[in-house]
Amino acid sequence: MLTSELRNNVLVVHVTEKRVDASKAPLFKDEMTRCIDDGHHQLVLDLSGVDFVDSSGLGAIVSCLKRLGPRGSLAVAGAKGAVSRLFTLTRMDKVFALHDTVDAAVEQLSA
Amino acid sequence: MKIRYILLTLTIFLGVALLVAVSVQIRTEILQHQAAQRMVASNAVREHLLLNANALAQERSRTVRLLVSGEADARHREELQEARARVDATQEAAEQEIVERSSDLRDPARSLASLSGVARDLDALRQQADAYLSADPQNPGSEPVQRWFREATRLIDEVQSFRLTLLQQERPQDPALRAEAVLRTYGGVLSESIARNQAILTWALSRPGEINPAELEAVGRNVGRADLAWELIQSQLTAPLSPSVREAISAAHAKYDTTLSPVQQTLSNALQSQTRPAISAQEWYEIARQGLRSIANMQQELLRSSRDRLDLELAQSRRSVFLWSILLLCGFGAVLASALVVRLRVVRPLEALSSAMLRLAENDLSAPLPRQTRSDEIGEMSDALRVFKANAIRRQRSQQDKQMLHARLKDAYRQLRKDLEAAAVIQTTMLPPPSTLGDVRYCGLFRPSSLVAGDTYNVVRRSDGGIGFFQIDVAGHGAPAALVSVASHQILSQAILTRPDGMRLETLVERINADWPEGLPYFTMVVGEIDVGAQRAAIIQAGHPAPLLLRADGIVEPIGDGGFPVGMISSATYETLEFDFRPGDRLLVYSDGLVEAENREGEQFSEERLRGLVHEHAEGSTGILLDSLDRVLRKWRGSERLDDDLSVLMLERLSERTNVDAHL
Repeated sequence: MLTSELRNNVLVVHVTEKRVDASKAPLFKDEMTRCIDDGHHQLVLDLSGVDFVDSSGLGAIVSCLKRLGPRGSLAVAGAKGAVSRLFTLTRMDKVFALHDTVDAAVEQLSA
Repeated sequence: MKIRYILLTLTIFLGVALLVAVSVQIRTEILQHQAAQRMVASNAVREHLLLNANALAQERSRTVRLLVSGEADARHREELQEARARVDATQEAAEQEIVERSSDLRDPARSLASLSGVARDLDALRQQADAYLSADPQNPGSEPVQRWFREATRLIDEVQSFRLTLLQQERPQDPALRAEAVLRTYGGVLSESIARNQAILTWALSRPGEINPAELEAVGRNVGRADLAWELIQSQLTAPLSPSVREAISAAHAKYDTTLSPVQQTLSNALQSQTRPAISAQEWYEIARQGLRSIANMQQELLRSSRDRLDLELAQSRRSVFLWSILLLCGFGAVLASALVVRLRVVRPLEALSSAMLRLAENDLSAPLPRQTRSDEIGEMSDALRVFKANAIRRQRSQQDKQMLHARLKDAYRQLRKDLEAAAVIQTTMLPPPSTLGDVRYCGLFRPSSLVAGDTYNVVRRSDGGIGFFQIDVAGHGAPAALVSVASHQILSQAILTRPDGMRLETLVERINADWPEGLPYFTMVVGEIDVGAQRAAIIQAGHPAPLLLRADGIVEPIGDGGFPVGMISSATYETLEFDFRPGDRLLVYSDGLVEAENREGEQFSEERLRGLVHEHAEGSTGILLDSLDRVLRKWRGSERLDDDLSVLMLERLSERTNVDAHL
């Protein structure tokens, strides 16, 4: 459900599923954890293809941030509509650096 | 028709066909053997008859010599007795042969009668001759001698014709045998011709005056017959004769041509011209006797050759019968053996396999399989059947295992469901029923997506009169979320009830958030308090959808724009939102399951639709509004099932005038 590419030492992780809900959250968490454990500490999570994230999905995204801890940073790019509203509603816009585009997120992280 | 019948019928049919063929051949061989035996018997009798005819001819010659010699020569008498004894011996031998081989001869009784007739006539002739010889003077006239001679000749002819009759009855098929029989006949003619001339010429030489022209003509005829006989004998030499026979013939012929024939010619000529011949009767008799002996030698050789050939043929046919009989026995044995082999090696194993297969086909897995330690097709079939049975047993066991597992799963599922149903009942009883506390009336809608839910809510009244309420939505759903929801329900209820005066609401939430165990799911909530006296209310929105405030005048407005969920970020801070809550105002608190409920096309119900619906029913009672909400949502979903837990809590500030009972 994830594809990733390295740009300027930043791992860009694209979510290929339209929904990140209770049924997809565990897989999402596993794959993200593997990326982090592989030594990538500068990550951009590209949610531009995602229409819906539920509470389980949000929990999975936050747990990735907690796993990364002070070692690095996880930026979120392309969140829109319901996803963007969820981030605002739960104040996660204060926790994650949100960017409109992946390029902007990469630029910010690699700076 | 079953295979066993086909195989056995085929084997037996082939066997019977073989046996019939061999039996037919054996019958032919037996017939041939019998024919050979008859041939041997006929040949043996004819041999004795030929010797008998020769002996008779000799007796005739000697009798005539005595009759015409005119003197009772003791030596000649003795020779006559010898000749008679030889005739008797050969006759007796012939009779004995007929008796011994009576089973192989066509008409032995008639043959014996013919022989005894000859013997009787011969006896009469001998008495006649003895009478002539004992009379005085001893010299009978030419007339009686002539008569006696003719009579004796007739007797010899009778024996010869009897012999030819026998030959006629059993004609040999073998060309050599046939040629030898013909040669013996010609030899007989030859011998008789010579013997007659021996007698006639001896007579003529002994009594030159007595011979008449008829007798002399007879001599000439006999010479002619002898020459003809020799010609016929020569013509038979093209047949496949043995070398010894050819040698005997050519020796006899040479002897005849060199000795007998010239003397006979000279004598004949002398008698014709009535001149005195150069040789005496005695000399002539001796020459003829030697000639006859050489012919007899030839005959003996022919007889021996025929005997040998017939013995060989008989032995061959006997061996043939024996060999074919052995073959018949072998064939019989082979038929029995093949029937037995077919039965033991094919039919029985097939029957055993077939019955085992039928039982297996009827699912009788206890059917014992026939033991086969063979490497042929039946062995392979048996092995395959063994594998089939093993597989069937394995399948059956696996089926039984599956059924047991299925039953256990069903039990476990039933138990789990029972547990969950009980838990659901407990969870539902924790929710406050529609009621009124002080001036606040509340009412809830609770629809879990499964039996138990991660949603919960409560309304409590503090000892200071304040009404506290909360609505919680634990992340995820199902049993884990339900357990957490129960725990958070308790924690929040206790926290509200025991909050000391002066402690701010956000402090309470921040403490709960900070203390929230790391491993548990987080939850969103709206927690609030209504100060009835001050007509004010305060809420904290912790990641929960913003509650809708329905003003008494029909205006609908959301309160708050978000906040951290509880249990996600331990250092999170919260803010309290305070607002007027006057009589007639209502507060609608709901979980995201309401606005995120999707229809079949995947479209969410949305906050806009909710606000529209609420606005539409702003004039109606809380109960009607919640009922409409429930109904519209079911219609929106198109199904009774929800993807996420859904709960709504509605609080209403009653006006002082309002009658409590009227609203309920």
